[in-house]
Amino acid sequence: MHLIDVGPRSGQEPTAPASAIEVIGLERRYGDFHAVRGISFEVHPGEVFALLGVNGAGKTSALEVLEGLAPPSNGSVRILGHDPHSERAAVRRYLGVQLQHSGLPGDLTVQETVHTWARTLTDPRPVGEALEQVDLSGRTDVRVRSLSGGERRRLDLALALLGRPRVLVLDEPTTGLDPESRRVVWGIVRGLVRGGAAVVLTTHHLEEAEELADRIAIMRAGLIVASGTPHEISAAQPATIRFTLPEGAPPLPQLPGVRVEHVAPEVELSTFALQSTLTQLLAWAAEHELELMGLQARAASLEQAFLAVADGSVPTAA
Amino acid sequence: MTMTRPAIERPSPAHPGSGGSARRRVLALAAAETRLLLRNRTAVASSVLLPVAMVAAVGAIAVSNGGTVDGPGLIASAIGVTLTYVAFYNLVTTFVARREELVLQRMRTGELTDAEVLLGTAVPTLLVTVVQVVLVAVGVAVLGEWSAPVDVVLPLVALLGGGASMVVLAAVSTSFTRTVEAAQFTTLPLVLTATLLSGLLIPLTDLPEQVAQVARFLPLTPVVELSRLGLVGKTWNGQAVDTAGAWAASPLALAVLAGWLVGGALLARLVFRWAPRR
Repeated sequence: MHLIDVGPRSGQEPTAPASAIEVIGLERRYGDFHAVRGISFEVHPGEVFALLGVNGAGKTSALEVLEGLAPPSNGSVRILGHDPHSERAAVRRYLGVQLQHSGLPGDLTVQETVHTWARTLTDPRPVGEALEQVDLSGRTDVRVRSLSGGERRRLDLALALLGRPRVLVLDEPTTGLDPESRRVVWGIVRGLVRGGAAVVLTTHHLEEAEELADRIAIMRAGLIVASGTPHEISAAQPATIRFTLPEGAPPLPQLPGVRVEHVAPEVELSTFALQSTLTQLLAWAAEHELELMGLQARAASLEQAFLAVADGSVPTAA
Repeated sequence: MTMTRPAIERPSPAHPGSGGSARRRVLALAAAETRLLLRNRTAVASSVLLPVAMVAAVGAIAVSNGGTVDGPGLIASAIGVTLTYVAFYNLVTTFVARREELVLQRMRTGELTDAEVLLGTAVPTLLVTVVQVVLVAVGVAVLGEWSAPVDVVLPLVALLGGGASMVVLAAVSTSFTRTVEAAQFTTLPLVLTATLLSGLLIPLTDLPEQVAQVARFLPLTPVVELSRLGLVGKTWNGQAVDTAGAWAASPLALAVLAGWLVGGALLARLVFRWAPRR
């Protein structure tokens, strides 16, 4: 079933297989509701894999299986060669998890919370170091209930990193963080990845996926509808050119292979040959001495690909 | 671009889940939960005052009636009462609160096993229960109504075994308790049967024969039975026994207690929910 060649002997930590995370045909059902309908992906050590999708696409349901919180309804998940649910003890030592929504007792201080969590781990980092990394050193004696949303999120991350994990599953790690804190988290993730950790994260910030992820998968209604590097996914989308035509302008020229949307006087062109289409358009405008107002030409973006998926149309090349 | 590391370079840890590390994990959680309890001054105050008030009230009534207090019987009752009204009820509300606050879900993402999470969360309530029983015993001694128990081990087994079965039964009850407020109702079945049918307030011999036979198999009855065997030296149907006699009369109660503990644990594992319903 799994392609790992070395099985760990009992009593030893699992040796790192070729892939740190291996998901094959994962399904998850709640009664009649089929939240995850069969997804597969692999994440290797030193890689960041981003799972994108609108709310309800099934990301968190899928992640919960990776986190070992629930068994799959079908298919398999292997983290470092082991099933995170049934072989929990073997995996947990090396797994760091940040849930999308999780609670902490409100009346413990930050220091007490991290200290307690550290004592439940086999090989915790020093509490001070963990807090400093997420920039909470100045809030150690504050009760958790008094933290801001962003500070709570950073505390959650510190707890996820406390056990020196080799594999990280982060569900929306920067939601609710200000831009500066978001960059701090990105720096932390990059550092972990340089150290050989494998990271799976979900996010609503496409910029974050573009910045951090080596590979991306976009989920919709329980299935992966697009996957690849950020570049590969965007490349499947056309570039767009937008401008506003002045009054009394002649009709647009024939532009082969270009889709035109003309909601007078605004025009939007979609093309897979941005440069040549733009050249033809500018030549035509010069010929008729037209000013194309508010001219914008943009290469395909991840956001476009994402919206196309959310729209229901799977991205295809022209 | 990506570099694969050949092996995880760490000294081989003790096998996770071994006794030493399990104890350390549970103690860590239990210490934190106890600290939280102590920060709730109202809870602490009422926990201490309740048993003291109970003993004082019973003593005052007895003195005004010109009678004596059945010291050992009072301690036996205290075990039953605190397990039912303090341990069971507070375990359910604690589990439900922690579940709804999403704390249980978070605890499951670390190295704590499911059982360790529940046990660590339950420790403060169990400690309070034991402290209250001790306070009642102290109060009885202060009133001068102390008499040497026939056997010490049986009441201890009743207290500890009863505490453990309250934890698993509370876990089962938590699975059909949606909110902390709902606990008032979902705990009624156990609380009512314990109050009426465990021999706590009404001696089993006062119940109709068939009812009494069934009542001996309810969760709290063996606790009361074992406590009274050891502390008061009387069996469930009122016969006086010495130490040897107490042990001779205990097998059924011990078996029923063990049965509820094991059965409750198996059922809890099946039905317990760690997160609120979506």
